[in-house]
This record gives sequence, C-alpha cells and structure tokens, in this order.
Amino acid sequence: MAVQKLYPRGTVKRIVKAHSNRSVSKNADILIFLDYILFMQELMREASIRSRKSGEKNISANTVRKVTEVRCLRSI
Amino acid sequence: MSTSTPNARARRSPFGTATPSGDTTLTGLQRLASHTRYPLTPSRLVTATTPGTQRSASRYTPRARGVGAPATPYGLRARQQRAANTPGRDRRRSGRMQRETTFDILRNLGRALAPVSKPIRSSPQEKPEPIEEPVDEFERLDNEPEIERPRLSLPIQESEEEGEEASPEMRPPRMSLAFAEEDMDITYQSVEYPRDTSIRDRDRLSMMSRATGRISGDFDETRLESDGGDGTGIVGEDDEAEDTMMSGGDFDRGGETEDLGRFHFDLNFPSPAAPPLEDPTGGDMNDMEDFELSTAQLPQAPSDDDDVGGDFGLGLEFPPAASPSESPGIVGGGLRDEAIPAQGKQKKMSRHGIPVPNLPAGVVKKLATRFARSGAGSKAKINKATLAAIEQASSWYFEQASQDLAAYSKHAGRKTIDESDVVTLLKRQRHVNNSTTVFSLAQKHLPKELQQDMRLAMPP
Repeated sequence: MAVQKLYPRGTVKRIVKAHSNRSVSKNADILIFLDYILFMQELMREASIRSRKSGEKNISANTVRKVTEVRCLRSI
Repeated sequence: MSTSTPNARARRSPFGTATPSGDTTLTGLQRLASHTRYPLTPSRLVTATTPGTQRSASRYTPRARGVGAPATPYGLRARQQRAANTPGRDRRRSGRMQRETTFDILRNLGRALAPVSKPIRSSPQEKPEPIEEPVDEFERLDNEPEIERPRLSLPIQESEEEGEEASPEMRPPRMSLAFAEEDMDITYQSVEYPRDTSIRDRDRLSMMSRATGRISGDFDETRLESDGGDGTGIVGEDDEAEDTMMSGGDFDRGGETEDLGRFHFDLNFPSPAAPPLEDPTGGDMNDMEDFELSTAQLPQAPSDDDDVGGDFGLGLEFPPAASPSESPGIVGGGLRDEAIPAQGKQKKMSRHGIPVPNLPAGVVKKLATRFARSGAGSKAKINKATLAAIEQASSWYFEQASQDLAAYSKHAGRKTIDESDVVTLLKRQRHVNNSTTVFSLAQKHLPKELQQDMRLAMPP
C-alpha cells in the first residue's frame, strides 16, 4: 500500500477513551484504527456502488448518508 | 290410555325411527299408520327387535299373528309372491285394516282421548333435562372461551397494528432493500444483525439526534433545507416516524444531554416557553441572527420557524406558563440546554461526559479518497458535504466501536481496552477469519512503523 502518514494516535485514543470511559492499552489504538480503515473501505465501497447505481459520477453526501444509515441499522 | 309405560315408549322410539318405511308409505290411513308405528306392548318389544321378516310379523296383533305367520314353505312362498305382485306394505296395511282388533280400536280410542300421552312421554324427558342442563352449561362453558378468543385476538391485532404504526423501529422494507441491494457477503451483515436491538436503536437514536444537532450547527444549510422542504438534510431524511422515535428515545436516556434533535422533545414539555418567546422575538424571528442566537442558546428558537413547533407550543400553553417567563433567554431551562450549546460547537460530549475530539478532516479525507478512488475509478472527488457526511459516519463508527470494545473489556474483567478486545471486534465484523489474520490486514493497510508496534504489542 501507499506510504501513509501516521494518523494522530493520541486523537484516536482520546476518542475511544471518551466513548468507552475506559483506558486504552498502549498499542490497541493501532488495531482500532485498522478497524476504522476497514470501515472506511467498506463505507466508500458501498457508497460508490450506490452512487453508480443511481447514475452519479461522484459520491454525493446523500449516498454516503444513506449508506451510513444502513450501516447504523446494521450496527457497523 | 296407551298400554305402554312412558319408559317403554321412550325405548321404542328408536325402533320407530328404525323403520322409516312405515312413515314413508303412509297414505290416507294416517291414523292407523301412526298407530302401527308403535303397535307393540313392551312385552312384544323383545320380538320386535329381531330383524327381517319377523319385524313385519311383529306388527300383527296377537291374534293376527297366528294367522299371518306362514306355517309351511308353501305359505311362505305364497306370501312372497303376493308381496312381489302387489306393493306389499300397502297390501298388508289394507289387510290389517280388516284385521283390526279390539285391541287396536281401544288403542286408537286411547290415542284420541288421551293426547296426554305425549306430555307423559315428555315428562320423563323433562327429568333428564335437568340432568342434561348441566351438560349444556358445561358445553356453554366450553364454548365460552371460544367466544373469548376473538376478544383476546382483537386487542392483540390492534396492538400489533398500533405497534407497526407507532414503532419506527420496525423498518423491514429498508432492511430488505439493503440486503437485496448488497450482492456482497450477506452473512457478514446478517450475522451481526441480531444484536441487542434496544442498544442499537438507542445508539442510532443518539446518532440521529446528534446528526440533527450537527447540521443545525451551520445555520444556512438548515435554513435552506427547512425552507425548501427538500429532504437533503439528515433531519429532512428522517421521516416523521424518526422524529417521534427520537423523542421517545429521549425519554429513555434522560441522563444524556446534547443533541438539538432533542428540542423536538422539549417542545412537548416546556412548550409553553414557545408562546412567550414568540412575542418578544416574533418580529425578529425571520432574521438569521436571531436564528443563530436561538440555536446557540435556546433550542426553542428553531422551533419557532417550524410550523410544528408553533403548534406544539400553542397546544400546551397554559400549565407552566410561569416558568418560561422567568427565562426568556434560555428557554428550555434544563441541563440539556446547557449541553446543547457545547455540542453545537466543535466539541462533542460522549455519553460519559467526556469531550470527544474529532478526527482531523485531513485524515478522513485521505482515507476516503483512497478507497473512493479504488472503488469509483481513477478520479474521485469528495466535496465538502460528502466529507462532512463521512466524518459524521466515522464519528458514529467510533462511538459504536468504542462501546463494543468497552463491553468486551468489561466482559473480560479488565479496565483497559486491550488488543484482544479489538481482535474480538474484528472477528465479529468478519474482518478476521481463517484466511485473514490481523497481521495480514495490517500489512495491507498500515504503514510499517505501525505494524511493528502492533507486532510488539501482540505476540503471535
């Protein structure tokens, strides 16, 4: 994969900490971010599929929202 | 006068019905026929029960019996011939006319003079009737539940219908659509689907409401959307059902604050606040400044723009009219309202009251473009609105994932979220399975430094 800049590890840790009210072990945030990457991959894939089905060239906010809504129902 | 006792008659009645031929062949001699129906004394009944020719013979009176009974085979054959030549029973009956004895005459007389015989026959039936009545009551009792069943089923159906109407949780069409549209791995979705719906709904509620709050952050958009009436905004997308759902959800988690979506709910409660608000701000309401002020501080102000909000306020004007007057500036006057401004700004609060930072937009955009490009071709442009939607989705994702991770760690009896928790989550999401390991995923997606850190943390 393309070389990638490091993501803000502290931010991810803080986000998870805030939501879960638990501390995050030293390197768990890497895996969490990995999971986030996978989530984004699927989100974008579904959004692009949907947008292509509806004939749009680019992914619009609406398609993303619709895909997101489905995801919410599915509890990510 | 009938010689038979009522009991005997009752016993004989089945016999009478057993020989319908006597009834069907009645001609002008109805009276006689009715007599011949029960011609026997109880003593003769024994012989009467025998079948075949004896039955016909039994109809004869004692005297006639000796005459009628064929003594020799010749006599029998002659009888048969006579029966073959003539419509037998009529013939016989006519013959019996002639043979009518005093006994029969007396019986006819008794029938004519004592019509009481039938009541007599019924009297024993009356006695059994009280015995039968309890049976009837039992039958009625047995029948009663059958009658009640529809009663039970009716309210159930009604409640079901109401539930379908009222509960927005059930959204089979959308789910089926989603399933149908995704030709990819369905099991991946379906396996995870039957999680605790209540939790999921609650989370979704918070997401939705937060979304409303979020959008209301930029006022121009909301303004336009609400005025235009197009369902582009998330608020607009949510149907009315969703609105009701949000208000319902607010009841459940009263402890949580934030989300402007809640102001729908606030309308129901301190709605009296609205009317006093309208008076002072009524003139300015159309101005954008006023709108901004209201969203920043009071959740009510946007309601003034909405027709719905106005209606609510008018409806509940009276009872707590005093309370709104005290705080024209901060109308909702609750803890929620304090939290709402905080949420309207960049910093959001988690359900534990800890401020949640946002993932920098650059990172999100980079990821999004990376995957969008791979999906949609060489050039994938992500405009601002799309990016906002993606950010929203990722914030929801983090909220959900963090809660799941917290649940996993809590289940393991730990206070910290461990790598194993995340691996469990990945497994549940079917990202990690027999063919895919965490390391292969990391190798695919993560830079090398992170892979090294991860390997250090996770001994294979």
